[in-house]
Amino acid sequence: MATVEFRNIQKSFGSVRVIEDLNLSINDGEFVALLGPSGCGKSTSLFMLAGIYLPTAGDILFDGHRVNEVEARDRNVGIVFQSYALYPHLTVRDNIRFPLRFKNVASDETESRVREASELVRISELLDRRPSQLSGGQQQRVALARALVKNPTLLLLDEPLSNLDATLRLSMRTEIKILQERLGVTTVLVTHDQLEATTMADRIICMREGRIEQIGSADDLYLRPSSLFVASFIGSPPINLLEGFVEGGGVRVGNCTLDIRGSGAGEVTIGLRPEHLRFGDTGLAGRIAQIEPMGREILYVVDSDIGTVRVLEAGSIAALGVGDPVNLTFSEENTLVFERDSGIRMVDARFHVPPERLT
Amino acid sequence: MTTRVATVLSEPTAAQAHWDALARKARIQRRTGLALLYGFLILVSLPVMVPYFWLGTLAFSARLEDVNTDVLWPSIFILVPAVMLTWVWSIFARTRRQAFVGWGVIWFIAVAVFAVVLGPSLHLDNFRFMHNPNFNTENDTIVAAEDNPGFSVTAFPWVWTAFANSLIIAGGATIIVVIIASLAGYYISRFQYRFRTSSLAAMLILHAFPATVLLIPIFILMWQLGLLNSLLGIMLVIVGLELPLAVFIMKGFFDAVPWEIEMSALTDGATRRQAFFKVVLPQTVSGMIAVSVFVFIRGWEEFVFVLVLSTKQAKWTMSLYTFFVTEENNLGIDFGLVSAVALFYILPSFVLYALAQKYLMQMTISGVKG
Repeated sequence: MATVEFRNIQKSFGSVRVIEDLNLSINDGEFVALLGPSGCGKSTSLFMLAGIYLPTAGDILFDGHRVNEVEARDRNVGIVFQSYALYPHLTVRDNIRFPLRFKNVASDETESRVREASELVRISELLDRRPSQLSGGQQQRVALARALVKNPTLLLLDEPLSNLDATLRLSMRTEIKILQERLGVTTVLVTHDQLEATTMADRIICMREGRIEQIGSADDLYLRPSSLFVASFIGSPPINLLEGFVEGGGVRVGNCTLDIRGSGAGEVTIGLRPEHLRFGDTGLAGRIAQIEPMGREILYVVDSDIGTVRVLEAGSIAALGVGDPVNLTFSEENTLVFERDSGIRMVDARFHVPPERLT
Repeated sequence: MTTRVATVLSEPTAAQAHWDALARKARIQRRTGLALLYGFLILVSLPVMVPYFWLGTLAFSARLEDVNTDVLWPSIFILVPAVMLTWVWSIFARTRRQAFVGWGVIWFIAVAVFAVVLGPSLHLDNFRFMHNPNFNTENDTIVAAEDNPGFSVTAFPWVWTAFANSLIIAGGATIIVVIIASLAGYYISRFQYRFRTSSLAAMLILHAFPATVLLIPIFILMWQLGLLNSLLGIMLVIVGLELPLAVFIMKGFFDAVPWEIEMSALTDGATRRQAFFKVVLPQTVSGMIAVSVFVFIRGWEEFVFVLVLSTKQAKWTMSLYTFFVTEENNLGIDFGLVSAVALFYILPSFVLYALAQKYLMQMTISGVKG
């Protein structure tokens, strides 16, 4: 159990700078997720926590103490890799026991801790098998048990679910979350899957090209993204992004002008989540171009006055057909406006459909 | 309407007959193809097999007084069909059990016929060199080496001396090569350093030259080092010649061990060295075995460097021993003795290959890559 802090961390490999300037503090017992596309430096950050990589500059603090020079083996960090990294020549029992071999743990205590850890992840009956005789989900559990057996100060999960099939991923997600809450171990999850991050983590750190884009809850990232990048990275189906130009009190999008409120001028990008667009009797005119049933929802692709947009409607049977004329509305509080060049969101800017179109 | 119903009803049977015919045709084609292929393979393998059978038969049957081939042809006529039948049966047997029973029957018959036809001619006299160090003087088949001006020996060493020498050279070279190649292979696989790629390429080029071109330089080097007439000298030469390829092979095996496993070991509390010995090295065991077999067999069969670097008969290896058994024979070649010595010589290599076959296969698949 520990608090963790990155202070002005930089990391370069040769001339390639992977982490620009990372500042982050993680509370004791917190579950945070580092979310970002591949190459954003999230795994590098994780390996610096584990002590495998040394930061080029800056400090890493555990419980307020600088640990930069502390060897990986002395940090007591449990880590679960994407590939599980089980030791293929050892049985499951020996895999789980492995971290205890390097500590002065009495053999009867070793046995009881191995048993405890394996019961925790429900693999007690697999202890005498070899990793190659296990399914992906079982290997995952063994890796988790091996990380937990040493009572880690910090649990690091490096894309732990991406090698599992969809159903298993769902159940492991819940299981890891429950386990983490029960043990209260500070946990850092690295993932490129927004669903993993939003479902498991208390706090999400969205990263891009070695920088933190936004820190916040799932809601913060989804409804109040701080930048274009976060808005487009989070959400499936993805947010509708349309290019506009602000002049006077309006923003020109496609072949119509929407009323805009708040600061801002010049080139902007406006964002509308597909589920925030509604079909109505009045509003922006459009025509359905394509229908994609998604099970519980239906995704309509609509050619409208503001351009081609995706509209997500609840239900499993399409009420509309391709070619049908429709009208689109949306409420102002769900609208997002970003500066085109910087991608930064103009927090107080909102837009809405001009009143004359709503009659 | 009615005609349509009728055709629909009659269609399945017609179609079925059609499919059956196609299936039969495919079956016949496949079997004919297989038969032709195996027939061809058996035929071309005959010239390879026959010398080995002859070697074995000669070793157990030839006598000095009647040097003839009376025994050889019957033995071939029994052994070759037995081997062919074994292969044919391997193709046709449907279960493992059937296969084993079939092979048992074939070889029981073969051995029985062999015993009846050739039993009286078989004897172990040719293997007298194994228990009698002075077989040459007793038997007059080998003339003491003073007749041979180029060679300063007075008598043959006992075969077990040569055997031990070969064992020391091959075994010693194997141990040294495996240790160095494992460490070097790990380093090359894991660490980035200047000229990494070019040094790897250079290493392979070293292996492309025939070793014999280095004969004189190595002789001078060994003379300077005072390692002439020593087993250590020959051992080191073999180590030097085999190391590049061995390093390359081991590098391939280390490449196949994922980084994560090592990282995992480090976070689990292991030092870099412990991670290497307890986690990484155990996963390259098959590579080490493969390299061992290659180096051992290379050392076991080394002839030229032993001949050049050692002038004392006490330092003879099995390869020299076998060569001089053939060479030093002035009364006409004692086929039986030569065959027996040859059989004794190839046996360790054969056993080693058979035991390590599994690992040698892995090497060709996963081992050699840039």
